[in-house]
Amino acid sequence: MRFFDPHIHMTSRTTDDLEAMSKAGVRAVIEPAFWLGQPRTQVGAFVDYFSSLVGWERFRASQFGIAHYCAIGLNSKEANNEGLAREVLELIPRFAFKEGVVAIGEIGYDEITAAEERAYQSQLAFAVEHDMVVMVHSPHRDKKNGIVRSIAVAREQKLAMHKLVIDHNNEETIEAVLEAGAWAAFTIYPHTKMGSERMVEIVKRYGPERIIVDSSADWGVSDPLSVPKTARLMLERGVDPKWVELTTWKNALDAYGQSGQIDVEALGREAVVDQTQSFADNSVLRGQAPRVDRGVPN
Amino acid sequence: MVEAREFLIESLSRRMTPPQSAWLQRTAEQVRTSRDEPAQAFATLISLASRHVPRGAWAPNADERAQAGRIQIGFEPERWSLLDAARAVLVLSRSDLDTPGVVAALEECFRYADVGELVSLYRTLALLPGQERFAWRAGEGCRTSMGSVFEAVACDSALPVRVFDDRAWRQMVIKALFVEAPLWRVFGLDTRLDAELARMALDLADERRSAGRPVRHELWLCLGRHGGERGLAALEREISQASPLSRRAAGIALARAGATENLARHLSAERDPTVRATLERALAGRVDAAAFRDLNPTTTG
Repeated sequence: MRFFDPHIHMTSRTTDDLEAMSKAGVRAVIEPAFWLGQPRTQVGAFVDYFSSLVGWERFRASQFGIAHYCAIGLNSKEANNEGLAREVLELIPRFAFKEGVVAIGEIGYDEITAAEERAYQSQLAFAVEHDMVVMVHSPHRDKKNGIVRSIAVAREQKLAMHKLVIDHNNEETIEAVLEAGAWAAFTIYPHTKMGSERMVEIVKRYGPERIIVDSSADWGVSDPLSVPKTARLMLERGVDPKWVELTTWKNALDAYGQSGQIDVEALGREAVVDQTQSFADNSVLRGQAPRVDRGVPN
Repeated sequence: MVEAREFLIESLSRRMTPPQSAWLQRTAEQVRTSRDEPAQAFATLISLASRHVPRGAWAPNADERAQAGRIQIGFEPERWSLLDAARAVLVLSRSDLDTPGVVAALEECFRYADVGELVSLYRTLALLPGQERFAWRAGEGCRTSMGSVFEAVACDSALPVRVFDDRAWRQMVIKALFVEAPLWRVFGLDTRLDAELARMALDLADERRSAGRPVRHELWLCLGRHGGERGLAALEREISQASPLSRRAAGIALARAGATENLARHLSAERDPTVRATLERALAGRVDAAAFRDLNPTTTG
C-alpha cells in the first residue's frame, strides 16, 4: 500500500526514519512549520527554517523516494513573542508561494491568548486572500474550546470550510469539526494524542469522509510509521480497505491537493530514487554507495 | 531584597568551601558596585557561577525554609540547587532592581540561557520587586517543553498567583496536570479557583476517559466549590472506581466541594484502610491543596 503522512516534522528525523518510511510505503509527506521545542529569538532563525522546509528537507526526502510538501506559517506558541511575531508574519508572503507549499500552517491556538488570536486572524486573512488551504493546530489544553474557537474565527475571516483542516482531534472534538464541514485530522502519537486502536474505532464509528490520519512525528517520542501502522491495524480489524485508503492517502490528497501543488499523477507512479543528485553540493550520502533507480514499493 | 540576599549568602557559605564562598562574595560585590556594564557581562557571570559553585541540592533545613517563607511570601527553596541560590545572589546584588533597565538585563540572560540558568532565573524572579514586569517572561517559561523549567515558574513560587491574569493562570494550572508537575506545590492555588478552571479540568477529565486513560488524581484539585453538578457527577464516578489513589483524591475533592454527605456515604462503604484514613481526614477538614501531598507517592517533604 502507499501512504500520505500529511503532518510530520522531518527536520527532526534521521535518514533511518526516511528509509523506514519509504520501505513502509510512505510516498508523500507534508511538513508544516512549527516551533523547534524551544523559542527562537530572532527573525533570521525563521528565515533559515522556512528555507530548509522548501529546500534541503524537500531534497532529503526525495532521496528516499518521498515527495515532500510543506505548510508555511507562524505557530501559536511563538506568536506570543509579539515583536518577533510581527517580523515573522512579514516573512510569510516570501515563502507561502514557493513550489510545494500546500497550506498556511500549522497555525491556531496554544494558550488561547490575544496575541495568538491576532497572528491566527492575520494568517487566515492571508490564506483567504490567496485562496490557500489552512492547517490548524489544536491546543493540548482546553482543546475542545480551542477547536470550536478556531472554526468560528476561520468563519469570521470567510475561510471556506473545505479549505480548513483541523488537526490533533480526538473523540471529544471530532463532531464539532465534521459538523462545521472542515477536515478532521488525527495525530497518532504515543502518550499524548491518539493511539492506533482508538483511531480504528473512530473510523468504524464515523466512516472515512473528511477524516485524515497523520503522525506529527517530531522531536518528541513519536513514530514516523504511525500512518502505515494504523492502516494495517484498520485492515486487521476489518475496516473496509477503501476506507483505509481514504483516511491514509486519498483524503489528504484531496484536502491539500486544492493548492494545485501536488502532482497526483506523478505520486501514483512508482517513485524513482536517484541519490547521485545533490542539493547545493550537499548529498545525504556520507561515503555510502548511491542508490539509483530502485523503485519504492507502492 | 537585601534580607533575601544576606540570607542566601549566609546559607550558602555553610555549604561551600572558603574559595567558593570568596568567589561568590567578590562577584556579588562587583555586581553591586558596577554601573552601566553591558548586559552581556552580567549574563556571563550567571554562566560563570557554574564553574565556581558546587553541583548539588541546596537542601535548606527546616529553620532555613521557615526563614525563607518569612522573607518572601511563598518562597519555598526546598527544591533549589546551590547554583540556583548563588545565581539569585548575583541577581539580587544588582543596584538597578527597581529600574526598567533590569528587565532588559535579565532578558539578555534568559535569551542566552542554558537549562540550568533558565531554572535559576525563573526561580529568582519571584524574589524581585515589581514582579508584574516579568509576567510575560514567566508566561514564556510556562510555554516551555522542559519540565524542570516549567516547575521553576509554576511551583513553590508566589509570582504566578500574584501577576498572571486569569487566562495565563488557568493555562498554567492545566499544563501542570499535563506535564505532571505537582499541582499541590502551586502556591496560592486555592485562592484562585473559579468556574472556568473547573470547566477546563472537567473537559480534560472527559477527554482522558474517552481516550481510555486514567485521570490524574490532582485534576480534582481544580474543582474546589466550582464544579457544580457536572463536577459532583465526575467525582462520584471517580470515587466508585478501582484505583485507591483516585478514590482518595476524589474523596478530598468531594469534601472541598462541600459534599460531605456523599463523602460520608462513600466512607461507610470503603474497605481499603489507606483510603478510609484519607476520607476520614477529609471529613475532619483536611482539604487544602497540601492534603494532596500525602497522595503523591514520590513526595518526600
